[in-house]
Amino acid sequence: MQKKLDRKYFLFMLPAILMVVGLRFFPIGNAFRMAFFNWNGYSPNMKFIGFDNFKKALSDEYFWIALRNTLIYAFGITIVKNVLGLALAFFVDQKFHGRAAIRATIYLPVMISGFIMGQIMYYFYQYDGGILNEILSWFNIEPVYWMKTGLSSTFVVLLTTSFLHCGSTMLLYLAGLQNIPHELLESARLDGASSWKEKLHITIPLLQPSMITSVVLNLIASFKIYDIISSLSKGGPDGGSTSLTLYISQQYFNYNKAGYAAGIAMWFFFVIIIISVPINKWLSSKKVEY
Amino acid sequence: MKNTEFKPKKHKKVRWWIPVICIVIFFMYIWPFYELIIMSIKDITDISSSKMWLSQGAHWENYLAVIKKSDIWIGFKNSIIYTGATIFLEITFASMAGYSLSRGSKKTTRTVRAVQMALLMVPGIITLVGTYSLMVNLGLTNSLLALAFLTAAGGIPGCSFIYMNFINSIPRQLDEAARIDGAGLFTTFFRVILPQLTPLTVTRAIMIGIGAWNNYLLPLYLLNDSRKRTIILVIRSAFSINGGDRDIAMACATCTIGILPVIVVYLLLQKKIIASQIGSSVKG
Repeated sequence: MQKKLDRKYFLFMLPAILMVVGLRFFPIGNAFRMAFFNWNGYSPNMKFIGFDNFKKALSDEYFWIALRNTLIYAFGITIVKNVLGLALAFFVDQKFHGRAAIRATIYLPVMISGFIMGQIMYYFYQYDGGILNEILSWFNIEPVYWMKTGLSSTFVVLLTTSFLHCGSTMLLYLAGLQNIPHELLESARLDGASSWKEKLHITIPLLQPSMITSVVLNLIASFKIYDIISSLSKGGPDGGSTSLTLYISQQYFNYNKAGYAAGIAMWFFFVIIIISVPINKWLSSKKVEY
Repeated sequence: MKNTEFKPKKHKKVRWWIPVICIVIFFMYIWPFYELIIMSIKDITDISSSKMWLSQGAHWENYLAVIKKSDIWIGFKNSIIYTGATIFLEITFASMAGYSLSRGSKKTTRTVRAVQMALLMVPGIITLVGTYSLMVNLGLTNSLLALAFLTAAGGIPGCSFIYMNFINSIPRQLDEAARIDGAGLFTTFFRVILPQLTPLTVTRAIMIGIGAWNNYLLPLYLLNDSRKRTIILVIRSAFSINGGDRDIAMACATCTIGILPVIVVYLLLQKKIIASQIGSSVKG
């Protein structure tokens, strides 16, 4: 009886399994296979070239720029989002009128397409007639070329993304704050801990589970950054702020180097795994006890 | 001896900085949307005046011009089809999988969790690289339904896990009672179990829907036909079609109308959305 039921349960899971295998696992395998070929993406002749695509990436200057930027984005956005999100969570965790409205306002940009937010923010950083430079001009300050170099564009994208999307991190920490047993904070207060000390020595260590979730999720998500770059800096100037996702899509769709794009994609996947897995393991091994 | 009598801290202290910070936060986060609207009602020939405010009158007719063009309606129609199909596919298959994960053996549960964590790390670009040429060969580019399948497959592992967590708290006796009444597994699930989870299904549908509505990378490359563009792609082409600064006002008007549905949904349901985001991270 139970066995028969188990088979039925399996059938119930089958559509999900088929979709995940067919549309998630299969593409990974196919991309891996493509990485071994010299192929433009549509012609019937694919030439097997072994590991050449992998090797070629290592001597491609723009691959290294894209990799460097992707790492800056991943770690930078994770750090800035967590600091901002934690600060905002402490702020909106207090009782005051309109805190629900403030919470909703901070979360609003998370709901809007990253491409669109990037497009709007582009007009803030424009050199000529940009909003930030216009404000500077009120104080007679020379306009700043915000996205002059690759690195400055990278930081513009990093800070903009973190600012716009820290609402999700804020909610994670808010959930953590609401989970902390009240007696703990009460007893700290009775012992005379000031509000800052209380936050630093008691609340923040107790938020560790939220912090782990937040760091891991943000890290994995920020590795994949694409939407906001594609409208805010478009990867420029001269590929200086490009991310790996952007670079791979350009290689595939603009230059018809499908095999090479797949090769970079495999490096990309490899980098994500060797960074995320140990961090995830290390963080999960730390447990808090109330 | 110190006085150890318990005295709750009075919160009557005037905290003047709270409203100040509130106002600063509010303006910072509303600012981009304000700019969007200001830019959208400028004269279309006006490219040099300040972006901060209107120098001449408001040209609301820009919106009229956008509404009169068919592009935006095609975009809405396609986005609705794509979003609806994604929600339907992901919710149906993920909830079914979540049910069998909850009721089946615990060994598979652990495997599935590991797989889910691993899949989370796969960047979307690999899915695109690995499927694009096949989609072309099978004639599935420009198919909103194929795109919906691809998108739903990405969300299924995570979503089925959330369903599993919730179904775990529904007693098995309910299944058995239904079975004794002669209901098959299918009826038991869709008639008895799933209706218990309506609040979860509603919030999941909203989140999946907003994700699909905003999806950019996959539609950008898989929908080339201008009649199959989603609203985000219509907005994109409005910003890029004329290059330079010429039609910023029109593009911004298109953009404002295009994000309006998301903003309306968010304003109406923000309490539910925020509560569900907080709730799901606790369950995590």
